[in-house]
This record gives sequence, structure tokens and C-alpha cells, in this order.
Amino acid sequence: MSTDLRRILVLLVAASTALATLPWLASDFMLSLALTCLLYVGLAVSWSMFSGATNYLSLATSAFFGIGAYVTAWGFESLPYAVVVPLGGLVAAAFAALVGAAVLHLRGAYFAVLTFGLGELVRHAITYAEKTYAKTVGRVIADPPESIDVYLTVLLLAFLAVAVCATVRASRFGLALAGIGADEERAQTLGVNTRRTKILAFALAAFFAGALGAAMAVRWTYIEPASVFNPFIGFQTVLIAMIGGAQTLIGPIASAVIFSVMTEMLRLQFPYAYLITLGVLLILLVLYLPGGMASLFRRAWKPNA
Amino acid sequence: MREPLISARGVTVRFGGLIAVNGVDLDVHPGELVGVIGPNGAGKTTFFHALSGVLAPTEGRLLVAGEDLTGRAANEFANHGVARTFQTPRVFRDMSAGDNVRFGLAFAGRKRRHARDAFDNPAAILELLGLGNAAGVPAGGLTPARQRLLEIGMALATRPRVLLLDEVAAGLTHAEVDATAQLIRRVRDELGLAVIWIEHAVRVLMNYVERVAVLHQGEKIADGDPRKVAKDPAVVEAYLGEELPA
Amino acid sequence: MTFWIELVATGLITGGIYALVALGLNLQYGLMRVMNISHGEFLMLGAYLTWLAHTVFGVDPVAFLPVVAILLFVLGLAVYRLCFQRIVRTSPSVEVIEARSLLIGFGLMYLVQNAAYLAWGADMRGYSYLSDPVQIAGARFAGNSLLAFGFAMVASLSMLALLRWTMLGKAVRAMMQSPAGAQLVGIDTRVLHPAVFGLGLALAGVAGALLSMIYEITPGMGEPYTVTALIVITLGGLGSAAGCLAGGLLLGLVEAFGMHFTSPSLKMLLSYGVFIGVLLARPKGLFAR
Repeated sequence: MSTDLRRILVLLVAASTALATLPWLASDFMLSLALTCLLYVGLAVSWSMFSGATNYLSLATSAFFGIGAYVTAWGFESLPYAVVVPLGGLVAAAFAALVGAAVLHLRGAYFAVLTFGLGELVRHAITYAEKTYAKTVGRVIADPPESIDVYLTVLLLAFLAVAVCATVRASRFGLALAGIGADEERAQTLGVNTRRTKILAFALAAFFAGALGAAMAVRWTYIEPASVFNPFIGFQTVLIAMIGGAQTLIGPIASAVIFSVMTEMLRLQFPYAYLITLGVLLILLVLYLPGGMASLFRRAWKPNA
Repeated sequence: MREPLISARGVTVRFGGLIAVNGVDLDVHPGELVGVIGPNGAGKTTFFHALSGVLAPTEGRLLVAGEDLTGRAANEFANHGVARTFQTPRVFRDMSAGDNVRFGLAFAGRKRRHARDAFDNPAAILELLGLGNAAGVPAGGLTPARQRLLEIGMALATRPRVLLLDEVAAGLTHAEVDATAQLIRRVRDELGLAVIWIEHAVRVLMNYVERVAVLHQGEKIADGDPRKVAKDPAVVEAYLGEELPA
Repeated sequence: MTFWIELVATGLITGGIYALVALGLNLQYGLMRVMNISHGEFLMLGAYLTWLAHTVFGVDPVAFLPVVAILLFVLGLAVYRLCFQRIVRTSPSVEVIEARSLLIGFGLMYLVQNAAYLAWGADMRGYSYLSDPVQIAGARFAGNSLLAFGFAMVASLSMLALLRWTMLGKAVRAMMQSPAGAQLVGIDTRVLHPAVFGLGLALAGVAGALLSMIYEITPGMGEPYTVTALIVITLGGLGSAAGCLAGGLLLGLVEAFGMHFTSPSLKMLLSYGVFIGVLLARPKGLFAR
């Protein structure tokens, strides 16, 4: 294991351990804020692991998140929390692998728009299935787990997401992804099995989105497709990762924390103005700072760019 | 007769109504250094795309060491030992020159670990190509000529059996071309590679290769000893009456 | 028999709108590789502007159509200039243009949709216009549906005619086939690009205006049409205006029949199924040679 990776993982364990003590030290509000931060760290980092590296812009996070949430909705009565969470991740990953096999050979724009509609597609499918087979519109989660358990679970998932992302970046798999992002055809001529690599990475990212969805689902006592397949989750993820710098590790993390804090503070008061600002920010960034905020810092660090 | 290392049988590549490559046969054996020439639009690069799996031929077969790889993805060709460079260098611009070479070693090169270990060291490869001092430089910052050399390095890192070189001499001075050609011959001698070399600057190539094939409007119109080919009337006509140096 | 006529007609009417929206996106994407994922939002703006004009100023929606077209054309010029021009001019390759314009479109979607929420709230709005049924060949249609279809067809066919027979149209098609070649013969991209972009938005706006006559409107109504537009472009083949028209109508019919034989909530699944099917089997479009 390279020293850089080791250093990152040590730091990660330390930070996570510190954060694990929060439920006994902080107020409910702080805990809720921390939960949102961790959720978006997990989502943004796992998103950038695939989309940041390969430049295949996936707008499917909402779909995977929702799928995970529904695994909990369906499974929570018969399975323990500790099982539905990874199960949600696995179902989302399997779905991603299937979809990926069908559409990952497409050029970027088609792939993006297709994933864009995927959330709506899955939502409609589940609504239909629920109405026809289960004869119900929504589901109730009876006896949800303690908020401490939810917090610790999400913390664990965020930790795993960052750890996996860091490990991938330092590995051959990550090199293959970077090659695909730089020049896919060229990478192929050098021996990279681009199809398999893309599907794997796409599924891996989906796993985390699904697991996080499964974990967070218990925060809603009443689950229905419209609330759980909320496109905002997906959009926020992409925005956070892009603004932070999707090709770095620290960019999405820092960005997730900042934006979660801002969301909690501003969104309730000025919901629409806040979103408009996000949109403007993204446009300005793509036009003038395509590498995201992280590229600003990278330029500052390098003495002779 | 030795079995050819790479073999194109009746390869045709069609784009809608346009036929870029038309029924081309080519066999290249280990240790052969074959030049491919032809006027602009002759289909040389498209032919290379077919030979390396970047494009699937519309008709025909492609065999590498006897194995039929027609229609398979480019990475399978690379894993079977077919390496190539591109006419306009396609290096990973943001990675260092050293990392570019390491890339090939990490993928096809790794799959082909069993092949002769002449080049398993990025530094050695770079040294061979005269890029030893550029190992840490971002590939995008190299001059086009050096990028072409880097491309050769990337190809060698995949431990190939067949090397496809697309116009590596373009834009070089006489001395540089000579050096590059010597390098290619040396690599061919040491590793027993089959080398196919496209060159637009015909004079350059004729002096270094032992055999030359001529493509014209997608078809192969000549294949053999450079001196004989230079005098072939069909070839002369294809180049509009320009007499090729013997 | 009347039932089948009504079903086919429903499909064609929806399809006509799809074709119109797709035409706009086709122009932008086919010409400049600008994937404006916020295309549907401008359809929504067209709908809201018409609603405003009708409910506040009492303007007849049909009479307002050309106004919508012009307003959105001008808006398109501004949006292109501010958001996309830099990308199209300075990107090293078409893939980068696509990727960056996608993200910008994304930001624009946020911007426009939420500005609409801010201005008009999330409640559904609507107005009644020519909703009395009309009888043709024994089948009954709402007057506004027929009107919308009629105008959609007129607009689409005019676009086709424009592209095929006018100098401007030929210039656009030339640019789509060979940007370098077109520039060599003197076609000025600095004028053409913004104009085509504006034209695309104008078409979306008109589609929205037509929709507002039939359905209720909300700020979120535009999104599904962006996806549908891409599906239509895929069906018809990128760069082909006639393909857009045929593809749009076809998709409308597939949806109408599919919904009838299965269930209305499966509409999206059907469209997606068609999308993926075409992409896998005939990626260049149904009508490609």
C-alpha cells in the first residue's frame, strides 16, 4: 500500500472515530446536520469515483437512492436494519450493472440524459407495482431504529465510501478509470477492458447510493415513491461533486460539508433563491473553473505549474 | 513457411456508401519490417484501425498468431500482442511521460507477462527512446515529435508481438528520421517483432523496410521488394507519375 | 371504429408536440453538440408566458404564438451568448463541448425551474380555451387538441421547408455535416450558432404555449419533455429534421397504443423501452440508410 493511501486511511479512521462520539456530545440539531453532511459526503464521493474519473456524467443517483429506500420499505418488517442497508446497496448495484451493460457504450450526452430520466422511470415502475400488486400507495415503517443507530450507520457508509474511493484511486482499477476519462479508445488499445471497468465502477457507485438510501429511509415514517425518488438528491450530489472538483478526493468531501450546512441554514428560508444560486454557481464554474474549487487549490500548491 | 503473426484476409471497411478499405490481404511474419504507403485517402489508417481492433471490418477476417480476432474489442487485440501508435499522437496529456508508459505496462503488458521481458521497466523504455529526462513531464507538454516517440514507448510497454506505426516520421528532420528508423529496426531485431509502418513520406520509408505494400483507394495494388514496387506501373500511376526513388 | 380513430389521433396529437420539441433540441445538438438539458424548461416558460398573457391581459393564445416565438428566440440569443458560446468556441473537442454544455444545461435547469417556482408558485395553473368538443368523422376531439396539433404540424413542416429550401436552412445543414467546410465557403458561425440556438428555444416555447391550451401547467412540466425529445432524436436520427417529425409522431402513437393496452402509468417505461431498443438495434436512428 502506498504511503499516500496509508496516510489518507489513517486520517479517515481518526476522523470517523471522532465523529462517532458525536451522538453523546452534540445537540439534536447538530446531529441532524452532521447526518446530512455525512449523507452527501457518501453520495458525492461515490459519484465522483465513477463520473469524476470517467467523465460519464451519471444523473442516476436519485434512482439508486430510491431503490435502496424501497428495499428498506419492503424488507424492514422481516429483516433487521443491519441487513436491509447492504441489501439496498446490492440491489441498486445489480440494477446499475444491468442498466450499465445496456447503455454504457453510449456517448456521454446520451448516457447522461438517459440516467436523467432513470429516476422518473423507476419511480413510475414502483408506483405501478405498488398499486397493482401490493394495492397500496405508500408504506409505513413501524418501529424504526434509534437515531443514534441511523447516524452511526450513515457514518460507517460515508467512511467506507471515502475509503473505497481512495483505494480505487490508488489502484490499477482507478488508473483504468482515469484512462477512460482521458481517452477511452486509447485506453482500450493499451489493454483496458473498458466495458467491464465502466460497468463495475458504475455498480460500485450505485451500491453506496443504494445503501445510503436504505439507511436514510427509516427517517421517513411514511415512504412513498414521490418523496423517496426525489430528484433533488441526485442534483445536489452532482452539484456538490462538480463544484468541489470531481476528480479529487477532498473536493467532494469539503464541498459536501459546506453545502449541507448551507442547505440546512438557507433552504428552509429561501428555498427557491437558494437553488437558483446553485444553478448560477454551477454555470459560472463550468465556464470559468471546470476543475471545480479543488483546482484552485491545486494551482496554489504547485510551485512551478 | 512460417505462420504469419498477423494476417488480414479480404478485409473491407465500409462507412455507409464509402468504401475505405476494399478486400485487402496482408500477412506479416515475425521479424518482418513492412512498409505501407499510398496516396492520401488510400485507406492506410483505416486499415490500421481494423488491424488493431479499433474498427470492426465490414467483411473479412483478422488473425493474430492464427487466432481469429475479427470483431473483438481493441483491448483483446492488445492482449494478444498488437500494439499501435496513432497518426496524431494520443497520449494521456495530464499524466507524466513515465505514467503514460506505466499505463501500457499495467494493462496489456501485465496480461502479457509471459512474453519476453525485454521491457518491463518504464525508465528503460524511456531511455531507449531518448526520453529519459522527460519521465516526470506531463505528456501534453512534450513537443509533437517527442510525443510520437512516447507513443512508441507506450506501445512497447504492452509487450507486443506486432507493432503498428502510423506515420511516426512526420515532421522530423532527416537525422531524426534516421534515428527513429534505427530505433525501430533495433527493437525489431531484439524482440523479433513484426512491424508494419505506415508512412506518407515515401522516400523515408523505402530506405529502411525490406518489404512494402501499396494501398490505393482502399485496395492493395502492390506488395513486395521496395525497388520492384517503386517501378511497378500501377504504383507509379497512383502517385500521378511521380517516380519513386529506388 | 371511432374508438380507433380517436386513439390514433391522440397519439398523433401528442406526437406532434414531441416532434416540435425534438426539432429544437435536434438543431442545437446536431449543429453545435450543445446538449441543452434545460430545453424543457423553456417549453415551460412558453406555457407560462401564454398563460400570463391570456389570464392577465386577455390575449388570445393563438394570436400570442408568434410573440412567444419571438420572445424565446431573443431569450435564446441571450442564453447562448452568456452560457454556451464560450464552451463551443474554446473546447478542445466535441466530447468536451457535450460534457460541459450538459453541466451548464443542468445549472440552467435549476435556475429557470426555480425562478418559475419563485414567480408563480408550485400550484397547477391553467386556463380554458376551446375545450368544447368537435366532431370529425364521428369521432370527438377537444377543439384545443386539434388546434395544437394543427399548429405543431404547421411549425414542424415550416421548419423542414426552411431547412430544405432556404439558403439559411442549407447553411445550417452544411454546418451540421462539415463545420470546417461550411466556414470555408463563408458561413459565419458567430451569427449562425446563436440564431440556431434561439430558434431551438423558440420551437420549445411554441410547443409549451400549445400545451398550455390543453393541459394545466406547473414549473416542473418541462423536464419529461427533454427526455422525450432525446428519445425522438434517437428514433429519427441525429441531425435529421424529417426524422424528428416522423420519430415524434411514431413515439406518440406507440405511447397511445401502449398505454391503452397496458396502463397509463407505464408510459415512461414504454418510451424508455423504445429508446433502449433503438439504441441497441439501430443506433443511427430508425430511418438511417
